[in-house]
Amino acid sequence: MTTPTAPPVATPAARVRGVLRSPVFLSVVGALLIGSVMLLGAGGNPIEAYAAMVEGAFGSTQWRNTLIVAVPVVGMALAVAVPLRAGVVNLGGEGQIVLGGITAAVVAATVPLPMPVSLVAALAAGALAGALLGTVPAVLENRLGVPLLVSSLLISYPVVAFASYLVRFPLRDPGTGLPQSRVFDEAYRMPVFAGVGLSALILLVVIVLVVQVDSRTPFGYEVRLTGHNRRFTEYAGVDVPRMVTRLMFTGGGIAGLVGAMVVLSVPYRYIDGALVVPGYTWTGLLAALLARAHPLGAVAAGVFFAALQVGGFGMERETEVPRELSSILQATVIVILAAAVAATARRTRKDRA
Amino acid sequence: MTRPRADASGPAGEPAGPPRVEMTGIVKRFGDVVANDAADLALAAGEIHALVGENGAGKSTLMSVLYGLLSPDAGEIRVDGRPVTFRSPVEAVGAGMGMVHQAFRLFPSMTVAENVVYRAETRGTAGLLDRRAAVTAVQDLSERYGLKVDPRARVRTLSVGVLQRVEILKALHREAQVLILDEPTAVLTPQETRLLFDVLRGLRDAGRTVVIVTHKLGEVLELSDNVTVLRDGRTVARLVTGETTGAEIARHMTGRAVDLDGRYVPGAPAEAMLRVDGLTVGPPTGRPVVDDVSLSVRSGEIVGIAGVAGNGQVELLEAIAGLRPARSGSIRVGTVPVEALPAGRRREVGIAYIPEDRAATGSAVAASVADNLAVGFHRRSPLRRGWRLDRRAVRTHARQIIEHFDIKVSSPAVPAGTLSGGNLQKLVVGREMAHDAPVLLVDQPTRGVDIGAIENIHARLRAYRDAGHAVLLASAELSELMALSDRLLVMFGGRVVAEFARSEATEENVGLAMAGIPATASAQGAGA
Repeated sequence: MTTPTAPPVATPAARVRGVLRSPVFLSVVGALLIGSVMLLGAGGNPIEAYAAMVEGAFGSTQWRNTLIVAVPVVGMALAVAVPLRAGVVNLGGEGQIVLGGITAAVVAATVPLPMPVSLVAALAAGALAGALLGTVPAVLENRLGVPLLVSSLLISYPVVAFASYLVRFPLRDPGTGLPQSRVFDEAYRMPVFAGVGLSALILLVVIVLVVQVDSRTPFGYEVRLTGHNRRFTEYAGVDVPRMVTRLMFTGGGIAGLVGAMVVLSVPYRYIDGALVVPGYTWTGLLAALLARAHPLGAVAAGVFFAALQVGGFGMERETEVPRELSSILQATVIVILAAAVAATARRTRKDRA
Repeated sequence: MTRPRADASGPAGEPAGPPRVEMTGIVKRFGDVVANDAADLALAAGEIHALVGENGAGKSTLMSVLYGLLSPDAGEIRVDGRPVTFRSPVEAVGAGMGMVHQAFRLFPSMTVAENVVYRAETRGTAGLLDRRAAVTAVQDLSERYGLKVDPRARVRTLSVGVLQRVEILKALHREAQVLILDEPTAVLTPQETRLLFDVLRGLRDAGRTVVIVTHKLGEVLELSDNVTVLRDGRTVARLVTGETTGAEIARHMTGRAVDLDGRYVPGAPAEAMLRVDGLTVGPPTGRPVVDDVSLSVRSGEIVGIAGVAGNGQVELLEAIAGLRPARSGSIRVGTVPVEALPAGRRREVGIAYIPEDRAATGSAVAASVADNLAVGFHRRSPLRRGWRLDRRAVRTHARQIIEHFDIKVSSPAVPAGTLSGGNLQKLVVGREMAHDAPVLLVDQPTRGVDIGAIENIHARLRAYRDAGHAVLLASAELSELMALSDRLLVMFGGRVVAEFARSEATEENVGLAMAGIPATASAQGAGA
């Protein structure tokens, strides 16, 4: 089943060659090589370290930790990838995930509801809050010409500060000295089935929906074409500003949902900074860029980065290698990828001049 | 000396002096496409040399090789007898090459003098730019060669003709011995063209070499001393201008005898289908780019819009298509007023549009041919089934248009960017005609496409008209307008300044109107 945009059917050999030459593959291999050189330089054993990393990420019980980290990272990757598919850069993930999280926390702390309704209400409120926040920069750009890239980033700061205020004062748990809310009622705790959280299942549904809309619907087709050439779809009569608003609503909604799901999971309370400090937004942004906004690619890249992080802890436990190696690998992948893509683009341009 | 090529029609004339530049056997491939296939060119000091050929014959590629923008796959370049390799334009400039591109490369917010000396500045104390020296240098140059320009003017405020002079000054300031001009008259009025030609003759008489890249035979005959003709990337003829004729050059360009006059076939117009009344486009304050334009196009009629590029033609068509807001005025398709509708709704009412730039506006070159052909059809049956876009229907739809419009492509799945210019244009033309809209707006339908595609597209446009549709056609090629239009409007400074019935329109009276000279009463004998 080939999509209309797929290249003509290739032989398996040609397809393998294509993968081996793809910038993504080159950047991952290149990063592992550079990481090896650094390890050797520091007197470490790269093979041992990488093995410990894989074990730490996908070992018998470790995969659960990876999954817990992967849910927010993959979710935030989608929050960026959905608008980026049309060339719209959503840098407001931080505000959207925090607003989603704090909204869910407010619902959980103030509205007593019975079990399934409670979760639906909190998640929906979180997603809606994130979606509306995502819509603001889109409307500002469409109506007033304020660049979305800038406003989406800047609008996050007051939102994060406001959430921080809420959890330090009105929502604060008086029993501890820390800026965190009380533990939520039973009704507001995301269940876990055999190690797989409800969050992961919900995210799976989101992934399926995004992929279906992207690859199967007329709207997804318009979005992809807009990503290729916005002038073209505008010329063809597509209302691109409205599309941008919808995409930012969706992206912000996914981010808000992620925030709500994280907050309603272990340890079942809103802790100030818990959604910001781990850098879910920025790791997700990198994953979306790495996949060049392809939804499934963003999911794969998100899982890859989550595994790097979690595996880094395992590696640090098992070997002498500090887990900062994970960050080095992640950063190196991005740098090599950017260089490879730029080089390809320049070659193509020169050939067509 | 150059040796005659077996496939060339023979070197009819050798340049007068010793060759200043000699390019032999230049080969340049882009993937499977051979842009230059053993192209030769010899340039002497003190000559104006015309490099001519159909669009896609490899003129621009050859000049890009000479200017160091492209490196050839094979062949040799000699400057003053010494072999050279240019890895970048900087090296080419160092060897005395200068180029004036079609799209000017100037800093709009800086002055003429600053633009001219950029990267070849005279530095004063502490390495700062010596503005006074820059102004003096520009004044000297412009007096010596009759290039009238105010060195202190901001580039932003200048007209196209003056911008071109600035580009020429820039090249001269870097002591270019060989000055290459790519389609220099495409954006000029006839008066500006005359001034440019005087300047170029002055440069020749001062011993410089001038190369004009063009496909306009009139200019070649008027201005040049020698002609090199390219076809399919090869040098097929070198001629002395004084010893040849337009017909001979055209024969070399196309490889066959060409009827230089268009074959106009009259249409059978019925009632008015597109009516535009008092349309004004532009910023809320300031000069409008389209100024109070009223026109109508009947079913079964092609109305041509002539005019020098940049006189509001593009803006007029975009405003009718709904891609550019109008300040005032009304637009009706049949009886339906559309001026308040967004572009998508106007398409539904019945406006299709073939834009000027097929790659930047008319297609997404990174997307597949099938995806490019589905645009506008993708929200209704049969391409849409329920909530889904039916991929098989998208492919079938693409195959139909590919077949019907004879687009040469291996599969609908390949990216549109891999198509040649002519085939990509046929893709855009085919898609827009497939809408079967009662009104078709067409802008530069054959720019940069080969002669086979031109004939194909012209025939399609006539057939579309004859099927009872209204066609509004803007073109920079007067010959194209003459071959197709049933009626001809001329735009100048955003206004429609003249209208000619087909029988009244001549190159002469239309040309005068294009230059903004008011048509005196009727058309006859206006060129006295």
